[in-house]
Amino acid sequence: MALGGRADGWAKVQGRAVYAGDVRLPGMLYGAVVRSPHPHARILRVRSEAARGVPGVRAVLTGADVRYGTYGRRVRDMPVLAREVVRFAGERVAAVAAESLPAARRAAALVEVEYEPLPAVLDPQGALEPGAPRVHQAAWRYPGAVVGPEDPPNLQSRRVWQHGEDVEEALRRCAYVFEETYQIPPAHQGYLEPHACVAWAKPDGTVEVWASNKSPHRLRAQLAACLGVPAERIRVMPVYVGGDFGGKGSPMDVPVAVALSEATGRPVKLVVEYEEDLTAANPRHGSVVRVRLGVDGEGRMRALDVRAWVNGGAYAAFKPVEHVNLNGFAEAGNTYRIPAVRIESLIAYTHTVPRGHMRSPGSLEANFAVESTVDVAARALGLDPLEFRLRNLLRTGDRGTLGEPWMEVRGEEVLRALAEVLAQGGGAGGTPRVEEGGWACGVGVALYCRAAHAGETEVGLQPRPDGSVVVWVPFPDQGAGQHTVVRNVVCKQLGLPPGAVEVRQADTDQLAVDSGVGGSRVSLTASAAASRACQELQRRVEQEGLGGLRVQEALAELARRRPGEGVRGRFSGEELWLNSVCAQAARVRVDRGTGQVRVEEVITVLDVAEILHPPSHRAQVEGGVVMGLGSALMEELVVEAGRVVSSNLHEYRLPSVLDVPALRLVLVPGGKGWGPHGVKPVGEMANVAVAAAVANAVADAVGVRVRRLPISAEEVYRLLRAREARP
Amino acid sequence: MSEASVELWVNGERVRAPVWGTEFLAEFLRERLGLVGTKVGCGVGVCGLCTVWMDGKLVSSCLVPAVVAAGRHVWTVEGLVALAEGRVADPPPGLPSGRLVRAVQQALVECEGLQCGICTPGQLWAACALLQEEPNPPEDQVREFLAGNLCRCTGYQGILRAVRAAAREGRCVGG
Amino acid sequence: MWAVEYLAPEHLGEVLEVLAGADPTETVVWAGGTALAPLLRRGLLEPRRLLGLERVGELAGLSVEDDGSLRIGAVVRLRELYGAELVRGRLPVLAWTARRIGNLRVQNMATVGGHLAHADPAQDLPPVLLALDAEVRLQSRRGTRALPLEEFLLGPMQTARAEDELLTEVRVPPRAFRWRTGYVRYAPRSAEDYPTVGVAASVEVDADGVCREARVAVAGAGPKALRVRAAEQVLVGGPLSADRCREAARRVEGEVDPWDDTRGSAAYKRAMARVWTERLLRQLAAAGS
Repeated sequence: MALGGRADGWAKVQGRAVYAGDVRLPGMLYGAVVRSPHPHARILRVRSEAARGVPGVRAVLTGADVRYGTYGRRVRDMPVLAREVVRFAGERVAAVAAESLPAARRAAALVEVEYEPLPAVLDPQGALEPGAPRVHQAAWRYPGAVVGPEDPPNLQSRRVWQHGEDVEEALRRCAYVFEETYQIPPAHQGYLEPHACVAWAKPDGTVEVWASNKSPHRLRAQLAACLGVPAERIRVMPVYVGGDFGGKGSPMDVPVAVALSEATGRPVKLVVEYEEDLTAANPRHGSVVRVRLGVDGEGRMRALDVRAWVNGGAYAAFKPVEHVNLNGFAEAGNTYRIPAVRIESLIAYTHTVPRGHMRSPGSLEANFAVESTVDVAARALGLDPLEFRLRNLLRTGDRGTLGEPWMEVRGEEVLRALAEVLAQGGGAGGTPRVEEGGWACGVGVALYCRAAHAGETEVGLQPRPDGSVVVWVPFPDQGAGQHTVVRNVVCKQLGLPPGAVEVRQADTDQLAVDSGVGGSRVSLTASAAASRACQELQRRVEQEGLGGLRVQEALAELARRRPGEGVRGRFSGEELWLNSVCAQAARVRVDRGTGQVRVEEVITVLDVAEILHPPSHRAQVEGGVVMGLGSALMEELVVEAGRVVSSNLHEYRLPSVLDVPALRLVLVPGGKGWGPHGVKPVGEMANVAVAAAVANAVADAVGVRVRRLPISAEEVYRLLRAREARP
Repeated sequence: MSEASVELWVNGERVRAPVWGTEFLAEFLRERLGLVGTKVGCGVGVCGLCTVWMDGKLVSSCLVPAVVAAGRHVWTVEGLVALAEGRVADPPPGLPSGRLVRAVQQALVECEGLQCGICTPGQLWAACALLQEEPNPPEDQVREFLAGNLCRCTGYQGILRAVRAAAREGRCVGG
Repeated sequence: MWAVEYLAPEHLGEVLEVLAGADPTETVVWAGGTALAPLLRRGLLEPRRLLGLERVGELAGLSVEDDGSLRIGAVVRLRELYGAELVRGRLPVLAWTARRIGNLRVQNMATVGGHLAHADPAQDLPPVLLALDAEVRLQSRRGTRALPLEEFLLGPMQTARAEDELLTEVRVPPRAFRWRTGYVRYAPRSAEDYPTVGVAASVEVDADGVCREARVAVAGAGPKALRVRAAEQVLVGGPLSADRCREAARRVEGEVDPWDDTRGSAAYKRAMARVWTERLLRQLAAAGS
């Protein structure tokens, strides 16, 4: 039962929620960026006379004018404005500040840059070959770099995860080895609010920043490192974020806005056009993933070898994880008992847009590749794909594929629940296909398991004289309901009605620490921190001798005795051996004559524990499924000669309501949650296995295997005709 | 150096503000008039974030040059809120009623028809315009009408539930 | 310091006067603006003046003319087009198609004249209007001329309109109202996408089941929306048999000249033009029985 509607709902339905691009300050200027059209080039000359001639222009900056260092979330390899060389088409070369937005954009268009184009390397395999053009002269020198001078010059990151027997040995002993290679293209996170920020470098040396960024404390630290100033001088102000999905964790254009503000002495707002965001922000990596799955004579999986060649783009700066690789790859095959597992992910620098994280980074790639191969194996062995999975499932008590001592693994529970749902309307494979009016029908399943991670955060709690409380949180609500989750925890623990709890985002000066939103960890960490703050507040109530009063009276009295004071609760993460499992099925129809794939229904079965706010939990799942469908069927950032040419939403298709089929959601409660409120994370669950489920359904319907995303009609058509042509 | 300007009616008030070059109505409303409830998303008329009501029709304000809007009657989400709060003395015909706006707002909140909220002003316009034209629309008409308003967060289910609930002026019902 | 000027005359004569003396890079005709606005936003077009057509009475409205033809004023919005009983009654496929272009807001703003003058080869109305034998009227200070739509559309974003001319109306002849017309827009990637191919066809079948008139037109499969007479020739003079439909479709495949883009490769578009032509024709054949 929901505890009231969303905490931030009313502001949003009134258009009163303030996002970074909505901020207006007296004397504010508007910024615009000049970007390189070349994937790799030397900057010979920048001429700004024509730009300065536009009335209202107050500054034109190039790399030479900016004294800051490089910046990044881990690897600090990105210059604020390119100096001497540009490394991707779209890289920031110059920036303009002017009195009005149209004047700034016009001036930016008039900046003349002379380039000497240089040879470029555009794909990861090519980049790792000896003799390939170097993206960075000495990538190991950047602060935070995870490569060394002995690595291939364009290596950005290399990670190997392995456990158990030697995988080559194990594969050699297998009765069957299924080898398949898959291609997953770059994609945009699809947040509808393009990157936006306002920066104000004040005369007293402090900097105030409003940014479409989901980790304000991290942003502050990143900016401090870039600007070379103590973090205390930077204040990141709270704003709403218009969608994130992994794409709003980087400083992005904030350092440019700060530079413009310093140069002009005025606040500067920098909002990019959506075209700039599509082509030059931090999209999903593109990957080629090769899977080798070894199975014995009894249909048991014995070995799994996964190798990924991943395009990291020109800079590693936009990735937050310490080895700047994609942890999702570690999940390959993790729902099964496989005694020999080896996963390798090679990320290369290329002269293309720097990549970042997109909801469950690496997971979708690994899942598409492995779950497709599992289906290939099942069909080749004449086994029902669901049966084959059940036969090989990891169960509670088993150690994980990488030796994880999981508290539980509920793959069987969710898969059996899915099987039950499917039994009401058709099996997962093996039975003759139904043809209805030229359409071939099919069903495909896929399984996904994700580990939970905790972060670190601090929450403030302040009673008010009217008996209500304000909860100060350091993180924004970028849509996933984080504020509502915290509100509900406080309501429950203190025994207050929703109307008596107000959640506000504090700026970075007011609360000490926060690892920001991401990795689905906010519910866990925020609920734990909020819980501790509540305990602290209850302790103080006792201390003051107010324990005998009703809650709101006690809080009101406390506020009166100690006006303006509050308590804090902090939580810092520890290694959790908790996971969530999701099983999905797609029902599709395929038109043999055209290859068109129509998804009729997606069924999502989710392993859950306690749910703090059911409506937003459900919305996260529904939103996740639709995002998964986007990746499965229509989303691809097309890159030609190093340039992202999908430059607007006519070309880059995001699912509209007309593209969404029937969605069915089944929750399997009873899982072990964690923390005082026993939760499991949900934000990055439902989007991952959809693509594999759809590909498996297409195989079920018409017997062809699509090995690249998005699953296009043309590709299915091509495969069907190729099969017909074979003798 | 005198500045060109545009005069028009916004939310029932006559306003005048400077305009430069080929400035568009979306940015004009936000930056010149401070009406930041209307958002700018894709800039090509696909996403619906910049939806405003202009002389009786919903349009993409990112595709209307400010000079083209001169002399016209434009209503933004701020105006919808004023209608909902009963602060508009003489609303022009064709605007949704305040009661309808309130019902849709309530439904969006209760049915989790929003998350990050950036598409919400546009969804509010679309839902109100639909229900005003067709108080009890069949499901496929709802989808068709809302097709031009993208949402990346909710998967649309909450928004559809909200429209159904608002049409009934009832509580949110799942599924 | 400067802002683009917006001129919105009330009379066609004034518009033509301005066009006669204007430099087309500086003066841009502005109807709904949905196709041109993105170009302005990106700085690809930098006009000093927008010549607005919305107030010109002579360009508005839909009517049935003395000769029975349907006249569609150039500034009729797409939404107006599909909302008009005149259109829904006589030419339901035209209404159906207009309703599937873009989204609601685009339909509120975009005009029939602007749509045709834009001449994007992937647009939906051109093949339908070609299959209805539509004609456009072009006016300038020099005079008026009528052109079959087929002669108006020349190539990608290219039409027969001279710089000083304005497209003032579209006319559909009364004979088209008798025909069985269908349009299929094949957009497999997403519902609101431009079509990979769009196929429109009209047939007139007499009491003996013999096809007397046929029109076949394709969008998305070449530099312009194309009327494929080679296909029409196959259909006329006999029954709409499965063989004839198939042959007509093969002719379409041979005639179209598509290019690769995100909606499909040239080879795929060619194949889809064939597949959908055959399916549409068979559907039209079956509709009569």
